[in-house]
Amino acid sequence: MPQDFETNFWKDTGRRKIWDDIVPGEPRITIPYTLTLEAIQRYCRAVGDLHPLYFDEQYARRSRYGGLIAPPSIHILLMFACTPADDWMRSPGTVNAGQSWSYNCPARPGDTITLQARALDKFIKRERLFVVHDNVFFNQHGDVICSGRGWTIRPM
Amino acid sequence: MSEFFDTLAAGYRIEGPEFVVSRESIRAFCDASLDYNPLHLDDAYMQGSFGKTNFGGVIMHGMTNFGLITRMLTDWAYSQNAVHRRLETRWIVPVKPGDTIRPHGRVKSKLVTAKSRWVVIDIEVRNQRGEQVATGEALVEFPPDAA
Repeated sequence: MPQDFETNFWKDTGRRKIWDDIVPGEPRITIPYTLTLEAIQRYCRAVGDLHPLYFDEQYARRSRYGGLIAPPSIHILLMFACTPADDWMRSPGTVNAGQSWSYNCPARPGDTITLQARALDKFIKRERLFVVHDNVFFNQHGDVICSGRGWTIRPM
Repeated sequence: MSEFFDTLAAGYRIEGPEFVVSRESIRAFCDASLDYNPLHLDDAYMQGSFGKTNFGGVIMHGMTNFGLITRMLTDWAYSQNAVHRRLETRWIVPVKPGDTIRPHGRVKSKLVTAKSRWVVIDIEVRNQRGEQVATGEALVEFPPDAA
């Protein structure tokens, strides 16, 4: 876990944007994050994924990837790791309605990951408040790791 | 060289891992994803309503479905020297402690493009009652050097 990661999502509620404040197209403030092998393996264990590409250095070195990698879905962790405590994604009651992600190259242990993110759209459907998220993760070489879109229902 | 991709046909099934959901597994996912939304932690809070929705207790992170589907797809793709390229998902029913979920895939179509070969896969996750809890679609690439 990043040293100063705030796990109490209530704490910064007053500083976060609500649906009314969100401006589609406006870049969100993000934080570079160094991905460790420990964080990768903690994520893998939480979904029961013990593939040797994530755990066995020798196996991984002989593979087409040439070394240990993170699973594609590591963006689940990166999303929270790269956003500050006052980001509206952490608002209690945020409900994830669906996601789509495209994968280019794997993240690796030791990578410094950066995120470019924005709300792309917001709308009302069946009296619920929706936001469309637009996210792209890069490694320290400027390569795109993955890009994704998410739909969340905002707390009212 | 290209045998596996050539023999793949619509309807081919891919089975994912069974996953037992508990308060502990949800808590482990909080620590793994840094997603500490009280939806996943706070029963008292979850007795309340969210707009028009009431969950009645803590729910599993929707992204656990996403992680399990990914695990199914990468296990399959790695074993064929193929590459998992895309996953789109929708959550249908919330998953709660005590549920057991399992992802399934079914090849929908395949296509050869100028530079590579692609398989489109329909995805669903079902719980122990056979209810669909998530649906989706995936894209796996079989590069020319793959099986």
